[in-house]
Amino acid sequence: MNTKLYVRNLTISFRTNEGKVQAVRGINFELNEGETLAIVGESGSGKSVTSKAILGILSGNSIIEGGEIIYDGKDLLKIPEEEFHKIRGDKIAMIFQDPMSSLNPIARIGKQLTEAMILKGKARQKESRLSFNAYLKNLSAELNVVLPDVDTDTKCKNFDKFEYKHLDLESAYNNAHDAAVEAVEEIGALVFELEKKAATDVNYRLKRIRSLAKDSVQTYVVDKNSAELLALCEKILPAYKSKNEQELINVLSSIKKILAEAIDFVAPNFFALGYYCTFSNEPIPELDIPELNKYLRKYLDEHFMLDFIENVQNAVKSSAQRSVDNMAIAIQQLKEKRECFAQSELKKKEIFDTFANLNACVKATIDPLAISKDSLTYTFGTGVRSELESYFYGKKNNKREEAKYEKQLAKHNAIKAKGKTPNWTVAAPSLVNFELVQSNILNQIDRLIRHYEEIIANQADRNYHEEAIAVIDYLKACASGVVQKVTYNKAKNKALKLLEEVGISEPRKRFKQYPFEFSGGMRQRIVIAIALAANPDILICDEPTTALDVTIQSQILELINKLKKERNLTVIFITHDLGVVANMADRIAVMYAGKIVEYGTSEDVFYHSAHPYTWALLSSMPDLDTNEKLDAIPGTPPNMIYPPVGDAFAERNKYAMKIDFERQPPMFKISDTHYAATWLLHPNAPKIDTPKIITDRIARMKKMKEAQENGKQ
Amino acid sequence: MENNNSEVLLQIEDLCQYFGSTKAVNHVSFDVKKGEVFGLVGESGCGKTTTGRSIIKLYNITSGNIYFKGIRIGAGLMSYRLAIKKAREEYKEKMAAPGADKAVLKKELNAILAEQRKQIKLAKFDQKHCDHAYQERQMAAVREKYEKLLAEANESEKVDLKKKFKNELRIARKTRLVTKIQMIFQDPSASLDPRLTVREIISEGLIIQGEKDKEAINKKVDEMLELVGLVREHAGRYQHEFSGGQRQRIGIARAVIMQPEVIIADEPVSALDVSIQAQVINLLNDLRHELGLTILFIAHDLSVVKYFSDRIGVMYFGEMVELATSEELFLNPLHPYTRSLLSAIPLPDPEYEKTRQRIIYNPLAEHDYSVDKPIMREIKPGHFVKCNEAEYQKYLEILK
Repeated sequence: MNTKLYVRNLTISFRTNEGKVQAVRGINFELNEGETLAIVGESGSGKSVTSKAILGILSGNSIIEGGEIIYDGKDLLKIPEEEFHKIRGDKIAMIFQDPMSSLNPIARIGKQLTEAMILKGKARQKESRLSFNAYLKNLSAELNVVLPDVDTDTKCKNFDKFEYKHLDLESAYNNAHDAAVEAVEEIGALVFELEKKAATDVNYRLKRIRSLAKDSVQTYVVDKNSAELLALCEKILPAYKSKNEQELINVLSSIKKILAEAIDFVAPNFFALGYYCTFSNEPIPELDIPELNKYLRKYLDEHFMLDFIENVQNAVKSSAQRSVDNMAIAIQQLKEKRECFAQSELKKKEIFDTFANLNACVKATIDPLAISKDSLTYTFGTGVRSELESYFYGKKNNKREEAKYEKQLAKHNAIKAKGKTPNWTVAAPSLVNFELVQSNILNQIDRLIRHYEEIIANQADRNYHEEAIAVIDYLKACASGVVQKVTYNKAKNKALKLLEEVGISEPRKRFKQYPFEFSGGMRQRIVIAIALAANPDILICDEPTTALDVTIQSQILELINKLKKERNLTVIFITHDLGVVANMADRIAVMYAGKIVEYGTSEDVFYHSAHPYTWALLSSMPDLDTNEKLDAIPGTPPNMIYPPVGDAFAERNKYAMKIDFERQPPMFKISDTHYAATWLLHPNAPKIDTPKIITDRIARMKKMKEAQENGKQ
Repeated sequence: MENNNSEVLLQIEDLCQYFGSTKAVNHVSFDVKKGEVFGLVGESGCGKTTTGRSIIKLYNITSGNIYFKGIRIGAGLMSYRLAIKKAREEYKEKMAAPGADKAVLKKELNAILAEQRKQIKLAKFDQKHCDHAYQERQMAAVREKYEKLLAEANESEKVDLKKKFKNELRIARKTRLVTKIQMIFQDPSASLDPRLTVREIISEGLIIQGEKDKEAINKKVDEMLELVGLVREHAGRYQHEFSGGQRQRIGIARAVIMQPEVIIADEPVSALDVSIQAQVINLLNDLRHELGLTILFIAHDLSVVKYFSDRIGVMYFGEMVELATSEELFLNPLHPYTRSLLSAIPLPDPEYEKTRQRIIYNPLAEHDYSVDKPIMREIKPGHFVKCNEAEYQKYLEILK
């Protein structure tokens, strides 16, 4: 499974008037493509802070003390704001907790929905064009090296040319096809309502159907029947005005029939067709679409594709080979220079010189033709640099802090000697932990060496043919990004569709309204629609359903699940309600006081939960069969300005042992997928069973499921 | 949680609350019996909160009657006005008919109009002075009590007694019936004044009611704080110094100090964290048994409502569609909307969740009300469903 996002050892604090609040204290998780990770915990546990850090929108008083968030080969904690623009909202989108404060109160909903779409559309076009050109240039350069005697430049340029023709054809087809699909859906809904005599807005909808039907007249979509369709379109409004409903329904049904037929047709192979149209001077042969596809495919393969794929394959191979050669050098260098970083005292000039050399070596191993970016190689430079910077910052300032510490400690002891307890605590003696920084750097180096060795070992198994095909797909995808323009009308139609999709009735009327004219649930749906508008890669949902009632909550959850499947979205779902995540989450991380206390698949957490806090969460809410008194968690979460020395949950934990108040528990491994941080899992700890209220519920649910299955059979 | 008391404390009769053309609550009727918890559920915007607020007279209701302890505390005028309009039109037609005796008809019409106008006057009076009768009742009780005491007391005691008598009489004169219904609001931080201390917040109602004895007030506030699980020292603090659960406790204390008989809890836990929710629910449950409160519990979380309520009313777009005891409702949900609502409840069990099918409710597809309009019908003792004749027969079949 492809890992999308790594969060490692993330530590975040906030400066406040009262002191430094430690919101997140070293959390680790990974996010795989297409899965949902639920982060569960009560307010103040640091779950929102984590998600904000991923999106780079932490408030001004935050201090990122350490760790890394790696997405697409970049460390999000270190990249500049300009680069973040490309990621935030586009690749990683967020649904916020409070819909009222995440919508602009003085802009209409329509504007807020379409604004980002249009801006992002323009940016995407530009970016696609750039990356397409850059890749072709790299490819062409590499080909020149591999095949110096062949004119490869023209080949790349030819690819460029016909690829554009292909996309023109395809986008025209897609527009028409989408229009036909939409028209069929719309007619279906309208006819149903007309028969029930409950249709609203009929005039507008008929006009829309007419324009959609007209749009769908296009080669390969509605082709032969186009005259008939156009004639029918003209009959729609007269039929409506004559108030003869039966006639109107008949007209609509026949339009629907034609369009439905058109939708079912196989689409031609536009890629091959584009090539044929650009380079062959003959007209397109009149064949059935499947026959035509075969013919075009053959033509393309003979004249261009086989040759091109072979060339690309050679280029990729040579580039990869060179990269691997460089890796061998880099490994050697890294191993040699490792000692420099392990010294007890680092010298600034010397160490930065060594680092610059190493960085150059590592950068040389980057393969320009590789499509997926290698995150370790990419982040090595920035990662080590920031560690070094913090090291030398500490060198500069630690002495002052230590003096301060001595002074405070003396004062503290003086107060204590008088028999009073001071209401403040002594600040930490040093800003930067040198050992930790050095071990972080060494870790990064070791990890990179291991990574390189792995790649070199796997070198023989690589399939360059598949990689070449992937390259062509990548180029196709880039090019399609260039052709897709986002006009206002397109954005508006998409926005209306989104509004309908998230369950807002009369989207056309709502489109023009202001946020304050909506109820809480409706506002949240708009926020969700905005987040989905950019088609993000990773969707962070920060308590998206907390303000909504059950039906809408379940609709929204279904919506997110559906979108996740359709678009292969990766979702981070933040909530305080464990019930909500049961059908959403693949994996669950339970957070308390800035730490992950339990981590596992949803089956692990729900059926075999091991941490007392998870038990408390599971047993504190009633379900439909609860009659006994609820098992409330006493007290409130600890004040994170002075985090407890031991387990943060110890004070509210009825199973707390002495050690819980003294030392923080490490993450105990329960199974390959399941971890929990509680001393109860220590081999010497007394055995405590899962609370009865939870085991009872599991047993009850099991019985219910069996009964259901029996009922079905 | 069986409740065998059949005394109706709160009676909502044909309640309508319109805001312009929006029919927020449309012909809703139900009774709340003494000592029970009545749950109102439905999706956001279905009018549950509006119903609650109409009952404590935060709005002037459009139509219908609200009775509390048998006294009409709220009355709407729309139904009478409609009756006048209808009568006028009817008689206009009658008079236009050939050979009609205009004088007789006019007399009849005038009689009808006078009757309706009288009703309007009565409704207006009740709406405004509903406490009048209650205050008289309270004052009489106080007088009776002290006359007895004064007659028996000697001279030295008399001064003290007279002072007490005066104080209590004033309170009785100012007691309003509506204060016996108190409300707990959804968002605790928004419903508490940030510039008042907890003591001021909790005692505000008492002071408005006419209590002047500071010591008595303080004593009562301390009592209340302890009752809801806070400590006396908290009284001097401001609301921002508390966590969400504690704020909600302050909100509850503010309601309970008025010695209400009915509490309207408008989504008291939905703005709170799960771990705190359980604390607040447990508290409300304890208070209810200790003080014998009657609670109108408004929420959208069905698991909580099921756990807490004796009877549940399901609302959909301003109308009540089903009303039954909570066991009955969850065992035999009849109205398609109720079934859709129940199918949407998430449970903390991944395997069950993966197979859960949500039923989608589409009123157009479910019902055919073009001929036969639906009304509330009793399918089973205590189980009401809004349906027409055909559906009634269908539901009866299902129950068999």
